[in-house]
Amino acid sequence: MIEVQHLTKRYGRVTAVEDVSFRVERGEIFGFLGPNGAGKTTTMRILTGFIPATEGKAIVAGFDVFDQPIEAKRRTGYLPETPPLYPDMSVVEYLGFVAKVKGVPSAERRQRIAAVMERTRIDDVATRLCSKLSKGYRQRVGLAQAIIHNPDVLILDEPTAGLDPKQIIETRELIKELAGDHTIILSTHILPEVSQTCQRVVIINKGHVVAVDTPDNLTARLRGSETMYVQVDANGLDASGTLGGVAGVTRVAESDRRDGLVGYEVESEHGHDVRRDLARTVIGNGWGLLELRPMRMSLEEIFLSLTTEETPTPAPTAEASAPTPEGEETAHE
Amino acid sequence: MSNIVAIAQKELKSYFASPIAYIVIGMFALLYGYFYIAILAYFIRQSLQMSEFGGQGAQALNVNQALIRPLLQNVTILVLFVMPMVTMRTYAEEKRSGTIELLLTSPLTDFQIILGKFLGAMALYGIMLLVSMIHLGILFLYGRPEWKPLISAYLGLLLLGGCFISVGLFISSLTKNQIVAGMATFAVFLFLWVITWIGGFSGPTVDQLTNYLSIINHYDDFGKGVIDTTHVIYYVSFITFGLFLTAKSVDSERWRS
Ligand SMILES: Nc1ncnc2c1ncn2[C@@H]1O[C@H](COP(=O)(O)OP(=O)(O)O)[C@@H](O)[C@H]1O
Ligand SMILES: [Mg+2]
Repeated sequence: MIEVQHLTKRYGRVTAVEDVSFRVERGEIFGFLGPNGAGKTTTMRILTGFIPATEGKAIVAGFDVFDQPIEAKRRTGYLPETPPLYPDMSVVEYLGFVAKVKGVPSAERRQRIAAVMERTRIDDVATRLCSKLSKGYRQRVGLAQAIIHNPDVLILDEPTAGLDPKQIIETRELIKELAGDHTIILSTHILPEVSQTCQRVVIINKGHVVAVDTPDNLTARLRGSETMYVQVDANGLDASGTLGGVAGVTRVAESDRRDGLVGYEVESEHGHDVRRDLARTVIGNGWGLLELRPMRMSLEEIFLSLTTEETPTPAPTAEASAPTPEGEETAHE
Repeated sequence: MSNIVAIAQKELKSYFASPIAYIVIGMFALLYGYFYIAILAYFIRQSLQMSEFGGQGAQALNVNQALIRPLLQNVTILVLFVMPMVTMRTYAEEKRSGTIELLLTSPLTDFQIILGKFLGAMALYGIMLLVSMIHLGILFLYGRPEWKPLISAYLGLLLLGGCFISVGLFISSLTKNQIVAGMATFAVFLFLWVITWIGGFSGPTVDQLTNYLSIINHYDDFGKGVIDTTHVIYYVSFITFGLFLTAKSVDSERWRS
């Protein structure tokens, strides 16, 4: 449903996003996890056609966002970091305007507006001016405008930022409900958020993709493992089984392959240095060992920076009492 | 087309939802009313004098020539003052509040957005001109002014206002700050206004050029009741150019931001 290939965005000399690639399947809730300044907003703005990429390509709902922007935009709903509300319009008026510009046929407009207001639970503020809404309602009206034209793809930039714990839970529930009809990408810098709402996560830091995986796998990888990169010339054989047999190795995944050389990501138990055994095994099999190094980016470091970002939110005590703060535990390990 | 109308409607509504429309129309009505009374008083004095000297009376003094024309000429000055207030927020405010993200990620072309905003501002301006027509209507009750020069004068005013609006849109698209946009727009308007004075001091060639550039000079014939296609073409090209610059600015902003 969404395909991003080698996306790069430079602002003058600042590189906000570099060589980002990922795929999102239909119906998935896909998380974008990264500390502030990681490039989440930039990537989302490219996907929604708000800004062009410097390099690379993005296909949303089957349309290239750069070559066929109108078609792609028709199928995309977008909630920017700050909900784009017109302060002097009432909620109904606002949704009416958005429905028009998003191309909802006039015969269906009234019914669509009623449906999204019910869905996002904003019926009770229907006639209130947008400027008079509380933060929680602003966010929900923002969600309502994003789904008004029933888009295939929903892109939500930090949909829970600045909400109180109760509102956060409600918003997460709402997003999960929406997942049935839409493919969703949401960004966050809060770790528990992805483990609770997303099926798959891309972690980005300083504009680079660090990992793409399910939240469970990521947590597991973080909890008790270290990752090595091993490049082997195994004469065309698959070395993953053999490498997996080394004591202390928990997981082996092929990461790249060219000219008969194969690169593997080898995960091992925390505190168990498997480098010597790995080298011995490769040499012992008569293969060529071309590279053996710890993976450049430490997930743990990034996770730490993620959760330290959570402290500045208002009402820290309430935050701490929020249910299942498993991400925070992880971070303190 | 429906997209353009949707944007135009939204713009017009937002003028009336904020104090802008009321301030602009109120100021216009007040100043216009003042000019109306001042010119009317002068006109009455003149015609009384003429009838005393035994001429053919008030009708000898042409209502169109002596009253309506100077009056509408003054409207051009009012436009200069109030139009920056109309256009200053069009883009600047959308950029500041982030609603530009909604517009630019909706299935709309830049052209539709720009034209919608242009027409929205034109509609507000049209309402201002309607206010001026009320006063003129009174003249029709008591006198017999000619229709044709009025129509050409209003066409000229519409086109002239369109030029100001297109420039104002462009300047608003350059900044996030509507106050900055308003002041810069006023400065540019003023420059376009006084440019003929420069020409007057600096010899015939420059004079010709500045006369051509001065958007006010092209209004004169409309005021006299003559619809000259060269002036119409001038205004329409000016408006098109202003909207084109706005489109360029919106697009380049996209690459920079
Ligand atoms: N308009 C801009 N001009 C220059 N640099 C920008 C601009 N927008 C974002 N950046 C930079 O790009 C990087 C990524 O920003 P952003 O995508 O907003 O990150 P995130 O949403 O993950 O917090 C940051 O270093 C930021 O300073
Ligand atoms: Mg962001």
